[in-house]
Amino acid sequence: MNPAIDGVAASRGGDDRAALPRLKSELLELNMGPQHPSTHGVLRLLIHTDGEIVHSVRPYIGYLHRCAEKIGEGCDCRQFVVYTDRLDYLAPMNCNFGYVVAVEKLMGIAVPERAEHIRVICAELQRIASHLIAFGTFGLDMGAWTPLLYAFREREVILNIFERLCGGRMLYNYYDIGGVRFDLPDGFAEEVVDFIDMFERKLDEYNTLLSYNKIFIERTADVGVLSVADANAYGCTGPVLRGSGVAWDCRRDDPYSIYDRFEFDVPTGQGEMGTVGDSWDRYMVRIREMAESCRIVRQAVKALPEGPIRTPELKKIVKVPAGAAYTRTESSKGELGFYVIADGGATPFRLKIRSPSFSNLHVIEKIGPGQMISDLVATVGSLDLVLGEIDR
Amino acid sequence: MEPAAIHQLLVEKFGDAVVGWHPDGPEPCAEVAPARVADVALFLRDDPRLAFALLMCLSGIDWDGYDAAGKGKSVAILGYRADGTPEAGERVATGDLGVAYHLYSYAHRHKFTLRARVPRAQPSLPTVCRVWPTAAWHEREAWDLLGIVFTGHPDPRRILLEDGWIGHPLRKDYAMPGAWEGVPLQGQPYAVSSAKPVLPPPSAPAPRPAPPDQGARGPAEGGSA
Repeated sequence: MNPAIDGVAASRGGDDRAALPRLKSELLELNMGPQHPSTHGVLRLLIHTDGEIVHSVRPYIGYLHRCAEKIGEGCDCRQFVVYTDRLDYLAPMNCNFGYVVAVEKLMGIAVPERAEHIRVICAELQRIASHLIAFGTFGLDMGAWTPLLYAFREREVILNIFERLCGGRMLYNYYDIGGVRFDLPDGFAEEVVDFIDMFERKLDEYNTLLSYNKIFIERTADVGVLSVADANAYGCTGPVLRGSGVAWDCRRDDPYSIYDRFEFDVPTGQGEMGTVGDSWDRYMVRIREMAESCRIVRQAVKALPEGPIRTPELKKIVKVPAGAAYTRTESSKGELGFYVIADGGATPFRLKIRSPSFSNLHVIEKIGPGQMISDLVATVGSLDLVLGEIDR
Repeated sequence: MEPAAIHQLLVEKFGDAVVGWHPDGPEPCAEVAPARVADVALFLRDDPRLAFALLMCLSGIDWDGYDAAGKGKSVAILGYRADGTPEAGERVATGDLGVAYHLYSYAHRHKFTLRARVPRAQPSLPTVCRVWPTAAWHEREAWDLLGIVFTGHPDPRRILLEDGWIGHPLRKDYAMPGAWEGVPLQGQPYAVSSAKPVLPPPSAPAPRPAPPDQGARGPAEGGSA
């Protein structure tokens, strides 16, 4: 039964429905993508629709598949850092971070204090940059152009900071096994603090512009509601899980690096505009997380010590002792895990990458059906997918 | 709960189906008989003492050539000859395939790693996607890239590669085809690859049309054009 059709029939005075001959209708098969502005990359959603109502959604992925895991088996541990940049190309610092932490855990080496602080600063700045893209493109999906321009304006400052740091604007290859590749340029700390000072004021601007915009709320509240049970069953993590009201963050609850030293809150969806776990909640978690990232960056810059930026005793080609470990970190999209199996050689024996967007996309099969097609666009946008890490 | 205690619970409940325990290293893990994986998974999720609600990761593994002493010879990457054909590995892969399940419990905040090994000749084990729906895609990936069959899977298609792809790339004895649908894959320069691009036959360039006579319009009158 179709709720939309039933609703229309009821509003016309339900009785004459019985007199009508049963309309024979069939599902329409519709391809959304692989080239579609709302799929945020090369993603194909095969949709069966009943009129305007989505009946089933089936994602087809793999258009960007490079078999990064096979590449990982063929180059030594240090060389693979550059490939992690290409996983989530909107948050390469976070991907670098996850990978080096995984290898270091297996090697059992400690990283110098200064390097740890630099890593945290870069990862949090990157999280802001990534969430800015999520904010901007989600606005774009909902028909708002201006937020994207605002987001890119602020992201540009972060990219300039990173460019001064390591030369790259998009793909950084900055983290290294045992530390980071370059020390901070002169005036880096002031530059970062200036940015944070400026950026915290901008967040209010974003809220006025988009978050509490009536049209935007109408488009996103009560749309694509994800329950906690579904989020857990489908392995959703990051802002998608927190949007459903679960206060869980790897940085706080399963700490790695030096995150246990910093004070920050874990924002969750509260259902302010509708139901807990709707698209607006997922969106708002990201906005609030940017403020928390600012707090972490402030603390890390303040505590930044002098000293070496990488473990001095490491050789050029590092050998990883035999063993296996799964290590997860909180990337901007959620739980980014690397399962490294080493056999004592320079290359990993097996490297499995668990990308957050992969599981976050999977849940669309569950929450997609029953919506209007235009609401499906809102739901996909609110999941903040990056196909580079889905396809790997 | 510590991994060792969880392992004890599993032994009490499943007895011989728990075939191994690897307590060393950064991540202790238990190995179970592949046929019982789905039962063990259900127990791990539903027992209130364990409550593993989240399957963090499911990884397929090709154990061929693995040697914990570090003497393993991986045949992962094979070279290519000058003409672009793949080099055949000298050693035939015989090792087991395997699956690793990484679990996390939000309720108790503990982790556990479960592994199962399947023989290369018949690499199949029951699906756990009815226990953790997220496993459905990870299992499709393990089938796609490693050729591990998950019996009872509702949608056993390839996920990342094309449906018609031949072979499973993450197997240690996988040799990449020289070309796929006419596109060279092996990383050789296009010109020396076995799949030569089909170029149009060389022919004499067509005579160019004579340029229009521009002499009639002198520079003097072009001023205001």
